[in-house]
Amino acid sequence: MLEATGLMVFYENMLALNNISIKCEKNQIVGVFGANSAGKSTLMYTLSGIMQDIRKKEKMAGGERITIHGDIFFNGKSITDTRPSRIARMGVILCPERRRIFKESTVLENLKIGGYLASRSQAKETMEYVFKIFPALKELKKRTGGFLSGGEQQMLAIGRALMAQPKILLLDEPLLGLSPLMQLTLVKATKEIRDDMGLTIIVTEQYARPVIPIVDYAFILENGAAVLEGTREELMNNPDVRAAYFGV
Amino acid sequence: MDILIYGTINSVVLALYALGFALVYGISRLPNFAHGALYVLSGFITWSLLNILGLPYLPAIILTMIITAVIGALIYQFVLIRIRGMEISEIIASYAIGLAIIESLRYFGFRGMTYTLPAFVEGSIDIGDIPVDYHRLIIVGIGLVVVLLLWLFTHYTKIGLALRGMAQDERAALMLGIDSDMMAIVAMAFGSMLAALAAILLLPLGNIVVESGYNVLILAIAVCIVGGLGSWVGSIFAAFLIGFAQILTAVYLGSHYQMVVALLAIIITLIVKPSGLFGQQKELEERV
Repeated sequence: MLEATGLMVFYENMLALNNISIKCEKNQIVGVFGANSAGKSTLMYTLSGIMQDIRKKEKMAGGERITIHGDIFFNGKSITDTRPSRIARMGVILCPERRRIFKESTVLENLKIGGYLASRSQAKETMEYVFKIFPALKELKKRTGGFLSGGEQQMLAIGRALMAQPKILLLDEPLLGLSPLMQLTLVKATKEIRDDMGLTIIVTEQYARPVIPIVDYAFILENGAAVLEGTREELMNNPDVRAAYFGV
Repeated sequence: MDILIYGTINSVVLALYALGFALVYGISRLPNFAHGALYVLSGFITWSLLNILGLPYLPAIILTMIITAVIGALIYQFVLIRIRGMEISEIIASYAIGLAIIESLRYFGFRGMTYTLPAFVEGSIDIGDIPVDYHRLIIVGIGLVVVLLLWLFTHYTKIGLALRGMAQDERAALMLGIDSDMMAIVAMAFGSMLAALAAILLLPLGNIVVESGYNVLILAIAVCIVGGLGSWVGSIFAAFLIGFAQILTAVYLGSHYQMVVALLAIIITLIVKPSGLFGQQKELEERV
């Protein structure tokens, strides 16, 4: 469904992504694990076209030089140089690291803004669904985004991304800084969303343990390169991975 | 009593000057220094439509607003989009465009006291024992309606909500499929349209003079700085603050100090609370 081949991203001379090829099939949950600065967010930004937009703006302002090599295909069509708004319209929606919810707007408005690409009936239907899987948000409808707790903000960010009618959802570190209980809730919700809406999901995380039970396939990044990949079982049985990412 | 009435009128006038500027800045962080020029330009467009083409008043007004919106969008699409995000360049470029518009109007002979727009309704009414002409009442009425419509637009329509999302976090909006360049053009068109609306409402009070373009710009900037750049609520609040301050100065000190009030307000705000009454300093947060 989404496939990247030979992806390389440079910030000036620094190599952020080194010849990464990843692939995910329809209806899968794919994990991307790696430490800080392994290139997870760069990968997510590049897949959703945001990196290309940053490159354009940096170039215009004469700032940092960003170079992108490789190809990205969505349903067989190249989206390597497609504008991010077009990519989003095709159904690739990024739910970014650190959530980036609209802090001055209420929960309801955040969701409505997320529904920019949705038709009126789609928006209504999806909003009901979001309130179904995250009942906590329903209580907080009128609350300003900035006053939500981290976990609530993350639920809102996922809900907002769902409002944009994704076919493939990119979740960038959804569990960052959350309590174990909240992590569990979100992981369960992620699986539920996949099952209910028939989505494809790519999820990145530093620490694989909370997410590994729901992923079908996973990649492990180190210093910008994909050092290991495999199905859940294959990774779980690899002693290096167990030591480094599961803390067993 | 007259202070209250004329203070209110003056405040609404200031708010109308500032709304377009505040809207464009609030959404795309573009300080549109061509705002005053667009204001004057649309005054002359209306005059031309009325007196050269001989259109009736209402179609002329609507046409002017459309033309000015298109001009604003074109300015953005062909000039400002290239320097997006570089504040100094944006200020210089938009100010240059403004200068070009104002000075070419002057060059082509639109100057002096000969150009006036008719009032919507002639005549006046006494409130208490203060005579107020109908046109000023219409200004206050339409000003309030515009603010209300703007509020409804940004809270209940898809484009309005998208604009607000973009104002808060452009990149997050981009991830949701909101085309930031397109939205910035829409914002600029709306801002220009508001400049035109202000011109059409306010120019019948006096002559159309090219120099007023600079005054309008300064007043708009004063209101926005005092209210907090990018905050619409703040701008409206500041418009009333400066509006009443101006009338009080006019009554107790003399009307030629009015402009000083606005400039003094900028200076005091920058010394005491640089982010303005309702502004938020966002940079710290973004650095984290």
